[in-house]
Amino acid sequence: MRSLALLVGIGLAACLAAQRPSPAPAQTRSILVKGGLVHVGDGRTFVDGAVGFRNGIIDFVGYEYAVKTVYDTVIDAKGQHIYPGFILPDATLGLVEIDAVRASVDAQETGRMEPEVRALSAYNADSRIIPTVRNNGILLAQVTPRGNTLSGTSGIVQLDAWTNDDAVVHADDGIHLNWPVAFARTGWWAERGTTEKEEHAERKKALTDIRSFFLRAKAYAASPAPEKVDLRLDAMRGLFMGEKTLFVHADGAREIQEAVLFAREMDVRRMVIVGGYDAWRVADLLRDKKVDVILQRLHSLPQREDEDVDLPYRLPALLKERGIRFCLGYSGSMERMGARNLSFLAGTASVYGLSSQDALRAITLDAAAILGIDDRYGSLEAGKSATLFLSTGDALDMRSNNVVRAYIDGRGISLDDRQKRLWQQYEERYRR
Amino acid sequence: MRQPFFTVQLRSFFLALLGAWALTLSAQQNAPVNGPHDRAEVLVAFTHAIVHTSPGVALTDATVLIKGDRIVEVGKRVRIPMGAEVHDLTGLHLWPGLVEPFSDLGVPARERDKVKEASGANYWNRAITASTQASELYAADEKRAKALRDQGFTTVVVQRMDGIARGTGCAVSLSGREPAQDIFLPHASANFSFSKGSSPDDYPNSLMGAIAVLRQAMYDAQWYAAGGNKEQSDVDLAALTQRLDLPLVFDAGSAENCLRAARIAKEFGLQFILRNTGDAYTRLADILATGSPLIVPLALPDAYDVEDPFDAMEVTLGQLKDWELAPSNPARIAEANGVFAFTTQGLKDPAEMWPSLRRMVRNGLDSATAIAALTTVPASFFRVADQVGTLEAGKRADLIITSKHLLSADNVIHETWSSGKRFVAKPRHVEDPRGTFDLNLRSTILKLRVQGTSEKPVASVRSAGADTTWVKAVLKIEGPVVTLWFDGAKLGYAGPVRLNGVIHDRGAIWDGQGQGPTGEWFAWSAIRQRGDNRGNREEKRALAALDSIWSLPAGEVWYPMNAFGTTQLPDTETVVFRNATVWTNGPQGVLRNTDVCISKGRILAVGPKLSIAELFPRSKITVPEIDATGMHLTSGLIDEHSHIAIARGVNEGTQAITSEVRISDVIAPDDINIHNALAGGVTAVQQLHGSANPIGGQSSLIKLRWGRSSDDFPIQGAQGTIKFALGENVKRSNWGARDRFPQTRMGVEQVYYDAFHRAKDYATEQGRYASLKPKEKAATTPPRRDLELDALVEILGGTRSITCHSYVQSEILMLMHVADSMGFQVNTFTHVLEGYKVTRELKRHDANVSTFSDWWAYKFEVNDAIPYNAAIMHEQGLNVCINSDDAEMGRRLNQEAAKTIKYGGVAPEDAWKMITLNPAKALHLDSRMGSVEPGKDADLVLWNDDPLSIRAKVMMTFIDGARYYDRRRELDQRMIAEAERARITAKLLAAKQAGAAVRKAQRQEPEQWHCETIGEHP
Repeated sequence: MRSLALLVGIGLAACLAAQRPSPAPAQTRSILVKGGLVHVGDGRTFVDGAVGFRNGIIDFVGYEYAVKTVYDTVIDAKGQHIYPGFILPDATLGLVEIDAVRASVDAQETGRMEPEVRALSAYNADSRIIPTVRNNGILLAQVTPRGNTLSGTSGIVQLDAWTNDDAVVHADDGIHLNWPVAFARTGWWAERGTTEKEEHAERKKALTDIRSFFLRAKAYAASPAPEKVDLRLDAMRGLFMGEKTLFVHADGAREIQEAVLFAREMDVRRMVIVGGYDAWRVADLLRDKKVDVILQRLHSLPQREDEDVDLPYRLPALLKERGIRFCLGYSGSMERMGARNLSFLAGTASVYGLSSQDALRAITLDAAAILGIDDRYGSLEAGKSATLFLSTGDALDMRSNNVVRAYIDGRGISLDDRQKRLWQQYEERYRR
Repeated sequence: MRQPFFTVQLRSFFLALLGAWALTLSAQQNAPVNGPHDRAEVLVAFTHAIVHTSPGVALTDATVLIKGDRIVEVGKRVRIPMGAEVHDLTGLHLWPGLVEPFSDLGVPARERDKVKEASGANYWNRAITASTQASELYAADEKRAKALRDQGFTTVVVQRMDGIARGTGCAVSLSGREPAQDIFLPHASANFSFSKGSSPDDYPNSLMGAIAVLRQAMYDAQWYAAGGNKEQSDVDLAALTQRLDLPLVFDAGSAENCLRAARIAKEFGLQFILRNTGDAYTRLADILATGSPLIVPLALPDAYDVEDPFDAMEVTLGQLKDWELAPSNPARIAEANGVFAFTTQGLKDPAEMWPSLRRMVRNGLDSATAIAALTTVPASFFRVADQVGTLEAGKRADLIITSKHLLSADNVIHETWSSGKRFVAKPRHVEDPRGTFDLNLRSTILKLRVQGTSEKPVASVRSAGADTTWVKAVLKIEGPVVTLWFDGAKLGYAGPVRLNGVIHDRGAIWDGQGQGPTGEWFAWSAIRQRGDNRGNREEKRALAALDSIWSLPAGEVWYPMNAFGTTQLPDTETVVFRNATVWTNGPQGVLRNTDVCISKGRILAVGPKLSIAELFPRSKITVPEIDATGMHLTSGLIDEHSHIAIARGVNEGTQAITSEVRISDVIAPDDINIHNALAGGVTAVQQLHGSANPIGGQSSLIKLRWGRSSDDFPIQGAQGTIKFALGENVKRSNWGARDRFPQTRMGVEQVYYDAFHRAKDYATEQGRYASLKPKEKAATTPPRRDLELDALVEILGGTRSITCHSYVQSEILMLMHVADSMGFQVNTFTHVLEGYKVTRELKRHDANVSTFSDWWAYKFEVNDAIPYNAAIMHEQGLNVCINSDDAEMGRRLNQEAAKTIKYGGVAPEDAWKMITLNPAKALHLDSRMGSVEPGKDADLVLWNDDPLSIRAKVMMTFIDGARYYDRRRELDQRMIAEAERARITAKLLAAKQAGAAVRKAQRQEPEQWHCETIGEHP
C-alpha cells in the first residue's frame, strides 16, 4: 500500500474528472529535480544528480552540487531514479480500444498497398489504455498501422494530449512494409501440412508486386509535379527524399536479407527492420548497410523449437555484440495494454548479457535515434525536451517500477488512470 | 510354420479331397453364364524354382503345383501330372503373395457434402458408422489393384477409411474377378480411428472429443446389447457389439495416439491392432507394453533439403532425427519382440516399398521378419493364415515370380498369380537390348548403339567409319518384336530406313525385314559386339552410394525427440542444498543461510547446517551437495491455468456441455512448452479445457516430467477437475455461429440448471438400478451410462472440482447462486477479473480465485479488469493464484507474481505464494506441494537471485527429487544437439547428392493455445 496515500489524493481529483485525466498545461514554472539517480539515457548516470528544466526544455543535467541557477520549484528525489521518458516504437496505442469490439478497431485498412493511410488521423488521444501505459514511464510512442503488405504511415506522439493534433511529435515519420514470409505454415494448427508449391508462387508474386509498386513510386517521386495526384505513390515520395523511414517488418534471416538488399536497390534512403528475430544472424549485412532494428517483444518464446529457451531474451546482447543499433518493441497480441511492460523487456535484456545502461538505452536514446527524434527526445541532456519521470525504484524491474512524477515537454502530467480509480473505489468499498 | 490341419501323413487323403473342393470353390459363382461353361481345371506347375515357402524357409529346385485358385502341392519331389501347364522357373524365385493389411482400395470415403441428413436407424453422431460393411461397398479398382499386384500383393484387407467407428473391413483377393468371388472373407476386421472423416456433424472437433464419442458409443453399445435395443433401434450400436470379436484395427497414427488407442482398448477389455505412422520407436516400450500388434508404414520420410543453411534452420532436430531413425522403426519393434505388419499406405507408388525395405534392412531389420511382415503376420492378424501368407498345399494360389530375392536391389518382379490367375508385371524373358551392334543392311554395315534403360532403350546409328557422328534412331521393343527407324540421309540412304524384326539369343542377335527410302524391301540383322550396361553401372553406383549412407550408424532415440530431449532420463536424487535463502511458504517464512535435504522424491529436512550423519543414521552414504550460497530455493511453481502439453485441440467447443471429454486423454509429453515451463521453474500445471462452452471438458493435473511417457505425467491421487466458462466466449460473442444456445449470459445460467437437473435425475436412476436385487436387475434394462452426466454427478458428489473461467461480477454471482441452489461448490474462479468487486460473495462461497497479473482491454468484458485485482482479493482474505493461460507467460510466472507487489503492494512472501502454495491449495495438492517443508514432494527450484526480481533466473528445477532442468547442463545439451544436427545434416547432403528424394524445409511453429483457441479445423 505504499502509494495508496498518493492515490487517495489523485482519486479525489479523479471523481471530478471524466473518462481520463486532463492533459497538463504548458510548463510555466521552472523545475529542478535533485538528489536522485539520474539515468541520462546515453549510458551515463549521475548519483546524487539533478535535472533542471524551463519552458519544457532541459537546461541542466549533472551532479546536484553543480547546479548554478535558481528554479521556481525544487523537487527532492532522494533515493529515486530519474529517467528520460521511455519510447514505445511500432505500437497501435490509440488505434484500438478493445480488440474484440470491432467498432473500436482502427488499426488495419483493407487493400494491400496502402502507404497513404495515416495512423495519426485515427489516433485517439483519449484512449483509456494510454494513461495506464504512461504510468509505467512510457511517454512517447510511434503509432503504426497494421496488416497488409504496405500497412500505411506511422506517426510519433507524446502521450498526454487533448487531441490527436496536440499529440504529434513527428508526423508521418515512416512507411511500414510487411515483408512476405518465406516459410509459411500450412495445414491447420493441430496437423501441419506441407509447404505447397502454390505458396511459393504466391510469395514470388507478392515480391514482384512490391518491386513494381516501388519502381512506380520511385518514378513518381522523380517527377517534381506529376500530372495527376496518386495518393499511394505520393505517400511513398518521402522514402526516396529521406523524409520518411521505411520500416520493414521481417523476422527471418532470409526475409531480412531480401528486404535490406531490396531497399538498397530501390534507393530508399533510410530503413529500419522491425521484428528482427534473426537480425543477429545477418548482422554483417545490417551493419554494412547501416540498418537499425526494432526488436520484437523479448518476452516471447523461441520461434523455432530447437532454439534456446533464452534466445529471445538474449537478442539484444547478440545485436550489441555485433554492433547493430536496436531498440525494443512490444507488438503482437495484447500489444496495447501490455505495452506498459516495455521497460521490463529492457530489464530482462539487462539480465541476459546486456548492461543495464545499454538496456535502458534501448528504450530511450536509441529508440529516439531510430525513430529520428533524438534531437529532442530520448536522453536527459540540456537543450532537449523535458520528457522524463521519477520512479521510487528501478523502473526496469516490475517489482520496483513505481512512477511518482512524470513530465512531458516540462508539463507535469497526471498519473491517474481508470484502473487506479477502480482500485481506489473498491478499497473504499471494503473499508466501509 | 505350424500346420494345424494338414500333416504329412494326411497329405494323400487331402489330395484326394482337393479336386472336389477346388471345384466347389470355383462353382460358387451362381450367376448364369453366357455360353459354354469354363469347366477345365488345368493344373499349373512351377518347376525348378527357388521356392520361399514361408519367411526364412526356401527350397531349391522345387515345384509348386496349383489347380484353380488353390495350391495343390509344394515340394522338391512333386510329380507333375499329365496335362499340366508347366512353367520352368530355373534360376527364378517363387514367393507367397503379399498381404496388404490396411487399405481403402475399392472402398472410397464418403464425400463430406454428400453425407445426407440422418436417415435410417443410425447412431446420432455420423462419425460412428459401425454398421458400414466394406464387403457391401467394395468395387474393383483395377488401377490401384494392378499397382499393388505389380509389387506382389495378392490379398488386401480393405476398409472404408471414414469416421471414428468405421465398420467392418473385408479380405479381398486381387484376382480381378467379380467382387463376390474376390471377397473371400466378408468380415475380416472392425475398424476405428480418431478422425471423424466426412461426418458433417460439428462434434467432435478435437482429439479428446473423438476419444469421448468413441467411448460413449462403446458404452451405448453395451447398453444396447443389455436391453437398450428394446427402447430404440440402432444398427451402428448393434454392429459395434457384434463385431468386437473380429480383429480390431485402430488407425491411430502417431506413437502417442497409439498409446491413446491402447488406453481405450484397456478400458473395454479389448486388443487393437494399432496402425502407426512410423514413429512407434519414439515410445516403443510403452506401446509394446500394451501388447498391441502394429501396422507400420513402408513409407519413410523424405530427406530435407538443407543445402541453404537458412532453409536448414527451419528443420527441427526432431525432424532430422526422425528422418534418420524412422527406417529403424521395424527393426526396433522386432528386436523388442513386437509384432508388426507392413502397409503400403502412405507411399505415392507401391513400387517405392522396395528401396524403403532395403533401407530398413540396412537399419537392422532381419529379412525373414520383413517378409513375414508382408505375408504371414498380416495373414494371422485377420485370421486368414489358413488361406494366405505361405506357399503350402491347400492355401490360395497366390504367388510371385521374381528374378532375385525380393529384397535384392536388382530384383525384378515378373509375375503375380492371384487366386490362380496370372498377371504379368514384366515378362520373364525380356532381354536387355542394350549394347553396340553391327547392323547389316543388305550390303551396308552400320553401327547400332542402344543405351538408356532396358525398359526405355535409346538407339542411335552411325556409319562404320571411326569418326562419324551418331544419328538418332527410334526403337520400339514389344516382347521379342523390334522395330527401328532412322533418317538414312547421313548414312548413304536417300531417306528413312525402317526395320522390323525379332530378337533372338538373349538379345545378341536381331533379324528381320526392312524397307529402304525408295520402298525396296531387304533382310537385315544386328549382331551384338559388346554389351552396354553403362546405365546399369550408374544405377548401381548410385544405389551403392545410397546404401553406404543408409548403413552409416544412426543416432540414439531421444526422449522426447527434440533438441532438448535426452537419452538419460533424470532419476530421483538424494542431495543437500547448502546455505540457500529458502522460501519455505510455511510458518518459518523466508530462511536465510539454510540447508535443504531431499531424498526419495521428498523433502527430508530443512534447517541450518544439516548433518548428513543425523539424517541418514543407518547408512554411510555420501550425499552430494549443491552450494546454494547467494541463491534462493523455493518450491516449484504451479500454474493453475495452463494449456500446454495438449494434443490436437484444447476446446471441444461444439456443444454447450462437453463434460465427457478429458484433457488427460490428450496429454502431449513432447510439447516443447513443457521444457520452457521447467526453465521458468514450473513443476506442475493444471491443464484446462478451453472456454468455448459453459461446461467444458475435464481438466488434467500433471507434473512436468519432461522426457517421460504421457502415462507418467498425471499427478496420482489428485482430485478430478473440470472447466466451466462464462461470458463472451461461451455465448460466442466474437466468433462462430449465432444459433448455438446460449447467446446471452441469461442463457448460460439456464444451461447450468438444465444440466444439473438432468444429472440429478440420472444419479437417481443409476442409484435405483444399483439397489435392485440381482433377479430384478437381470430383468431390467440398465440405465444408459452417460459420460457427460457422470462428470456432473461427480461434481454434485464433491469428487470433481470446478475451475470456472469468468470475468464480470454478475456472472460470477450467477454461478455461485446456481451452485448453492443445486448443491455443488465452485472450487475456483479463474481469470475472475472483476473478482475484486465481489470478494465478500466469493469468500462466502469459499471459492479460490486465480487471475492474470495485468491483462485487460482485449474484450468488452475485461473493461473493468485492473492489475490491482489480485491485491484486493488477497487483502480481502481470498486464496489468490496468479496464472498464465499462456505458454510464454507460464515461464515467467515469477515476474507476474512480482507485479502484485507493484500493483497493490502485496507483501513479497504473499506474492510468492500466489504461484506456489495458493494454487496447490486451490488444486487440493497442498498436502504434498506448494511449500518447502519436510515430507512434501521434492518439487524445488533453485534461483540465482530473489525469485521476484527481474534478475531471477532458474538454475535448477526438481520434480519429485529428479532434476528436470539444469541451466548448466543445458549448455552441454546445446552442444550435443548441435553436434547431432551437424552429423545428420552431413548425411542429408550426401543422401541428396546420391539421388535421394528431398523435400523443402517448412517452419514448424510450436503450438500455443489459449482458452479461446477453437476447433480442429482452421
